Amino acid sequence: MNAAAAERQAFDAFVGLEIHIQLDTRSKVFCGCPVAFGGDPNTRVCPVCLGFPGVLPALNREAARMAYVVAQAMGCTLSAEAVFERKNYFYPDLPKNYQISQYGAPIGAGGALAAPLSPPRTVAIREVHLEEDAGKMIHAGDVSLLDFNRSGTPLVEIVTAPELRSGDEAIAFLQYFRRVVRHLGVCDGNMEEGSLRCDANVSVNRAGAGLGSKVEIKNLNSFKFVGRAVEFELDRQRRELQAGRTVQVETRHWNENRDVTQSMRVKESDSDYRYFPEPDLPPLRPDAAFLQSVTAGQVELPQALRDRLERRHRLTGAQAEFLSDERATADVFERAVAAGADAQQAARWLAGDVRRLLNRAGLTIAQSPLTAERLSELLALIDSGAISGKIAKGVLETVLRDDLDPAQVVDRQGLRLIADEAELDACVDAAMAAFPDAAAQLRQGDRRPIGFLIGEVMKRTGGRAAPEPLRRILQARAGGG
Amino acid sequence: MSEDARWRAVFADQDRRGRWLDYARAWNERINAFVSFADAPGGAGAASGADADAGADADGRTGAPPAGPLAGVPCAVKDNIAVAGQPLSCGSALLGAHVAPFSATCVRRLQDAGAIVAGKTNLDEFGMGSDTQASVHGGCGNPWDPELVPGGSSGGSAAAVAAGIVPFALGSDTGGSVRQPASFCGVFGLKPTYGMVSRFGLVSYASSLEVIGIIADSPERCGQVLEVIAGLDDRDQSTVAGTPDRDAVRTIGVPRACRQELRDPQVRAALDAAAGQLAELGYRMVDVDLATLRYAAAAYYVISCAEASANLARFDGVRYGARAAGESADRTIIASRSAGFGDEVKLRVLAGTYVLRSGFHDRYYLRAQRVRTALRDELTALFEQVDLLLMPVYPAPPFARGSARLDPFEQKVADRYTTVANLAGAPALSFPTPQPRVPIGMQLIGPNFGERLILDVAARYAAEHPPARPPGYAEDWR
Repeated sequence: MNAAAAERQAFDAFVGLEIHIQLDTRSKVFCGCPVAFGGDPNTRVCPVCLGFPGVLPALNREAARMAYVVAQAMGCTLSAEAVFERKNYFYPDLPKNYQISQYGAPIGAGGALAAPLSPPRTVAIREVHLEEDAGKMIHAGDVSLLDFNRSGTPLVEIVTAPELRSGDEAIAFLQYFRRVVRHLGVCDGNMEEGSLRCDANVSVNRAGAGLGSKVEIKNLNSFKFVGRAVEFELDRQRRELQAGRTVQVETRHWNENRDVTQSMRVKESDSDYRYFPEPDLPPLRPDAAFLQSVTAGQVELPQALRDRLERRHRLTGAQAEFLSDERATADVFERAVAAGADAQQAARWLAGDVRRLLNRAGLTIAQSPLTAERLSELLALIDSGAISGKIAKGVLETVLRDDLDPAQVVDRQGLRLIADEAELDACVDAAMAAFPDAAAQLRQGDRRPIGFLIGEVMKRTGGRAAPEPLRRILQARAGGG
Repeated sequence: MSEDARWRAVFADQDRRGRWLDYARAWNERINAFVSFADAPGGAGAASGADADAGADADGRTGAPPAGPLAGVPCAVKDNIAVAGQPLSCGSALLGAHVAPFSATCVRRLQDAGAIVAGKTNLDEFGMGSDTQASVHGGCGNPWDPELVPGGSSGGSAAAVAAGIVPFALGSDTGGSVRQPASFCGVFGLKPTYGMVSRFGLVSYASSLEVIGIIADSPERCGQVLEVIAGLDDRDQSTVAGTPDRDAVRTIGVPRACRQELRDPQVRAALDAAAGQLAELGYRMVDVDLATLRYAAAAYYVISCAEASANLARFDGVRYGARAAGESADRTIIASRSAGFGDEVKLRVLAGTYVLRSGFHDRYYLRAQRVRTALRDELTALFEQVDLLLMPVYPAPPFARGSARLDPFEQKVADRYTTVANLAGAPALSFPTPQPRVPIGMQLIGPNFGERLILDVAARYAAEHPPARPPGYAEDWR
């Protein structure tokens, strides 16, 4: 063990994440304005999400349902009476100067998520709560501009226990969490657009001494920054302790230009949000029908799906990982296999050409014209010898481009392989006639021109000559098989 | 001709409308009850004097003859309730020239029932006060004597009804702000059950305590208007529907503490007289205990200030209202609030911020909530013994404007009788009693959704003891 590693062992690291996800609801959480990204500033606003005098919030039931779906997926105990509270602080992008959030009685608490860390491990989820997003303040020279389009977008905050140990673990957990919410269909998980945001709570202490002084890091808007910021902060805190100093409880932010965390504010000065129950909204008391809709919103979590695909279809870990990344991909795979496609082939095509073509077109599989039926049809065409694998790639491209069935493409473009002996014989005759030298060589029993002549026949048939019978015919021409 | 028909005639006829406006303006010069007159068809013309032409108002309503149960009947709306296209000042400098972009649900329902909003009325800033003197529009006078306060915070609404300018007006009652001015002006003031009337469009002061209330010239009018504005509203999820748990009033309780502690001889005499008059009407009057009464005002102020500190946080000069100059966003907010809020508002916001601070939360806010629960439980138990409670509205008669007025602390202590109903969410009505000089009202408090019971008793009482009119009250212009 080198010295640095030994030093690391002298400390325990504690990393917890506070993850915010924007819910994919049609309208905002307390008013009817649409939820979307971008657009002209202040075009998706109304008196409610601007906090005008006299307005009241009206809870969007779909946002509540999605929040409960997330809480249940995180294994939380669901609250029979979830209470909204006001979190009071002044900021120009916060229209009411309080945020409707939850504090004492959140939607879910006490959960756990089994995550594919190495080795796989369960991470405790402290709570899941529903709240409203703020607007955005944009600094432009010496003026500050406000855009309230985002104000009132439903947010779910998930708080993990400080059970992660490194930047890599934080990344792995967050990536897995992102897959989970995408599978649940409640959030697109796009960190660039801010629909998934993350703060990290980091502390270090002498081994065995329990949690250290908590430092919260804000502004982690990519997986890379989460990893770097956590590692930077763990290092910084270790060095502080080694130098005999104490770590100050504070909020820091990640400076992505300098690759360092910097102090934003010392916690004591403004941590008092003066929470109290939101008198404008009654507590959320889910009834049986509501809870049923929450249960109906559950899906097989990505890790379980991955394990099942790997086992049942004898896939490699990497294949299973790829297929389970998006629920829609796994759906196409499983339905194609159910329709008779070979699992290995289906997995190979999905991870290979399908992925490549979709990436090029900038489409997800769900948005593309490729269905499970079309994939299994394509594989059946190859399997039956009707087309070659090479032609199939072209067929797939046309299917994706023109929204057609593979058999339609094959028939319209006349792509079926020429397997008929007589037809192939004629093709070989023509090729040999065009190249008398090669033909003479072959007739003398020299097999070397076979490859050249196969190429020539392929050229003349547009690649449609069935390779095996063609080779047999040419070998026969060389005399005696 | 019925009352409604006579009011309808005023606003259907250009000539009479002009006489109405003359009457209203003459009063307003003395009492400053209206802060603006509606500039709308069927309305009265702008406060500046320009008569409105026919056309669509801000809600797109046209000059078509109104229909509905309140067809053509004018009303006034307290200036902390939104009426689309009309100024919404809340009596505060901070709101500047803000014009409401939408109408409160209750206003919309009134207009759908044919009522005409004739103007907005004066109030204590954001509803915080009991004398309608703390207003950016200047103080409001009592029609009985403009040197006296009209009560508050819905003082302008009560004064407008008492002066006979409108037959009813909307107010808001957070701790007595409808009942106390009704009492001071000699009219009826109904605070409905919490949640019965949508608060959407009422600028929030203390959300869990306040309701939109009705100030009117008769109990019947209160009932008629309540029927129009009550009901569930998707835009206010605290609205509830319900029915009373009894169908008649036989027994009325009077808390012993009220009799024991009343220092003012006039109010004391008024309470005794009202109890006697109700007994004469056949109600069984009994003495009851209401032990939590002594904590009501304290609990009320802790809770209302706490909620106010958050509710008024949105007034920062950023999106609407008067913005003061500041070098940064923070400084702009601080400067706007420092310049825009009056002293009483600042006092309550600071007090509310204080009681919610971590470490103080349990000692003040949670304790006040426990008092509130205890009070609610005690009232529920009391309504097992009696059908209604009779209580004073205010421990003092209308007091003088200016230096002789009650100081702010005395005014807060004096809110103990009205705040009981707000803490419990119960319905309550202030009704005038026969008095030799200035009005003094009493209140009836009932079980939840018991408005009808209360109004029936008040109607029988008013038939025997009709309210007096202030000097200068006239109907001849109609």
